[in-house]
Amino acid sequence: MMNRRPVATAASYYHLPYATNSFAHGQYHDPAFLSVGYRPLHLPLQQQQHSAEHLSLAGFQDPGFQLLQQPSVHQHSLPVRTRLQHRRAAQEAMAHPQQSEEQLAELQKLSNAWEPEVIGPLVGPREPSTKITTEYASADPVYQVKTAALPQKYSHYRTVRGDGKCGWRAVGFGYFEALIRSDDSTKFLFEEARLRSMSNVFTAAGIDSMVYEDFADEALGLLRRIYDAAHTGDATEILFEAFNDETVQNYIITYLKLITTAWMKTNAGDYAPWIENGQTVDEYCDHSIMPIGAEIESAGLAPLKDVLLSPAGIALEVHYLDRSPTDAGDIQNYYFGPASQPTVGTVRLLYRPGHYDILYKNEDFPQQVTTYLQFANPDHQDYVQNIAGCDFMTAIPGGSIINPHQAWLSGSCYGNSVSDISATPAPIQQCVQRTPAAVHAPSVIVHQQLQPQTLYIPAPPQQLITPPTELPQELVIRTLPQVSLAQAGLHGQGAGPFRASPWQYEDGLMQATSRMPLQTTIFRNSHFNTAHFNNPDFQPEEWKPDDDYVTTTSKGFRHRNG
Amino acid sequence: MAGNKRIMKEFADIQANSPPGCTITLPKEDDLLNWEVTMDGPSDSVYAGGRFKLAVALPKEYPFKPPNVSFKTKIYHPNVSNDERGSMCLGMLRADEWKPPNKIVEVLKLVRAVLAAPQPEDAVEPGIANEYKNERRAFDKNAKEWVSKYAK
Repeated sequence: MMNRRPVATAASYYHLPYATNSFAHGQYHDPAFLSVGYRPLHLPLQQQQHSAEHLSLAGFQDPGFQLLQQPSVHQHSLPVRTRLQHRRAAQEAMAHPQQSEEQLAELQKLSNAWEPEVIGPLVGPREPSTKITTEYASADPVYQVKTAALPQKYSHYRTVRGDGKCGWRAVGFGYFEALIRSDDSTKFLFEEARLRSMSNVFTAAGIDSMVYEDFADEALGLLRRIYDAAHTGDATEILFEAFNDETVQNYIITYLKLITTAWMKTNAGDYAPWIENGQTVDEYCDHSIMPIGAEIESAGLAPLKDVLLSPAGIALEVHYLDRSPTDAGDIQNYYFGPASQPTVGTVRLLYRPGHYDILYKNEDFPQQVTTYLQFANPDHQDYVQNIAGCDFMTAIPGGSIINPHQAWLSGSCYGNSVSDISATPAPIQQCVQRTPAAVHAPSVIVHQQLQPQTLYIPAPPQQLITPPTELPQELVIRTLPQVSLAQAGLHGQGAGPFRASPWQYEDGLMQATSRMPLQTTIFRNSHFNTAHFNNPDFQPEEWKPDDDYVTTTSKGFRHRNG
Repeated sequence: MAGNKRIMKEFADIQANSPPGCTITLPKEDDLLNWEVTMDGPSDSVYAGGRFKLAVALPKEYPFKPPNVSFKTKIYHPNVSNDERGSMCLGMLRADEWKPPNKIVEVLKLVRAVLAAPQPEDAVEPGIANEYKNERRAFDKNAKEWVSKYAK
């Protein structure tokens, strides 16, 4: 769904959600900035009008006009040019004082009530970071250079909905994801115990258990659910669903805000120097962390990292993507490692003024050799087809299934495929019934031959994150039969003159043989045989009455495991 | 629903230990989202002796959106809109200042505190606010009049 959005709207996605009360938010969400950085020409007309509307409203943000709240977020990142534009807009607005108080109140009401249309999922799917480059292809050169360099460092990214909670959500999601990636289930228990023991910190900060327990329950509950799911392998899915459930993620974000507040209050000395505008830590927590609309700021990100990530051994990396020119065209990079413990993982954030997304490096995923099965990426589909035994036939003149020879299309093979199949020998028919794709009528199979792209059946999503416990070689052999060999059998027998071999239609065959090497006489007499006294895992052969009637060859080759 | 569980708990708590001068009931027993509060005017204020009916409407998203507090009894107060809605919106009740850990007990305490000490800087009725600031005696007289007229 993200793919279909036009480039220009994609850029405005980050801009829109903030436009409500965010003239001071910084360039990224700033309507005034829009004209500098994004060339409003690229925006749909309606959005341009929005920007104009807000510019005129911005004018009323005069100190004398008390009703309008003035958020002071990311003020520092506002370029001088933009600030000048603000002032000019303000002057223009003050030049028309004929607006009555009621009109202003009406405008104020409208401005308060206006809720931007927030686009996109709360947490998006992981996508190749080249998409960011495309998104900025029509932006100004600084962004173009920076985003072009991005995919070299970070292969993937994940969007987080820009509804004012993105920073909190991104860190929370990254935390759980890093725990899942650590692939160490004791880590979850450790973390649960640690977070439960936070009650001391809450007490010290003067936060009553009544206040936080609901939120803590939800967060710890998710931790527990993921821990339970770690064995079945759908932990990532559970995490993804939880963070896309508005209520659940609200609870978790509030929990993160609570532990941040508690931590800041109990370590006030460490954080007080970083708070701007002369606020105390208590005031800061009250006004800039706890309120539902409070975005994360660096003064809040630091304690959140210290209380949530560092003790868990998770590092935090923040990459700035803004208009500040850098020599190397590289993105500014801030890395916060945990103080003492070994790093379990790293939460990587992409920061664009006012907005956070999640970044990934290639090394963040379990590395596997069988890349062609690992990704459901269009580039890799060809390989799967290769294995499925289709493409090699193009080497034979007129022998391809994908582009069948004229002679195949005419005559019985094309016209009467139903009878063709029913005429094939019995074992193959059994195979047809077993393979799921055979649910289609046989005529559909003929159709598939003419449209090569439908031949590809994508790998099931679980395979994207196979636990890295198995040896790569083993994986190649074991995963192939599931995905492709069944298919190969199907196409092989549906396609006419080629007769399927047992390798193609017997599901268990590859697996069986991969585990049990061929038992030749040479092997049996070597020390590689466990029955040989020189084998380190020596296990004498036992006589089993059941085996007595099985001949030596079949025992060794086919029917041992079948 | 997690939100509902919390509301139920809060309602039980508030019944067992209601804030001073407040009685809380549910107008419809199966509707936990609409509370009715009867609040006595603070004894040290111009509203002493009055009984005010308030409606507390909890949004579906509660506790992630603030409750909606409105006076059903007319009241002469700079922070309460002088119309049939009698709505009140200040401080922690604003959508972006609301904190999810806040409870309705605290909201009611805030309302009562605002009755005792109006906040003219945050007024929804600028006229009444001006009177409160500049002609305190006239304000007191009007407020008391309204109490005896509507809130007895």
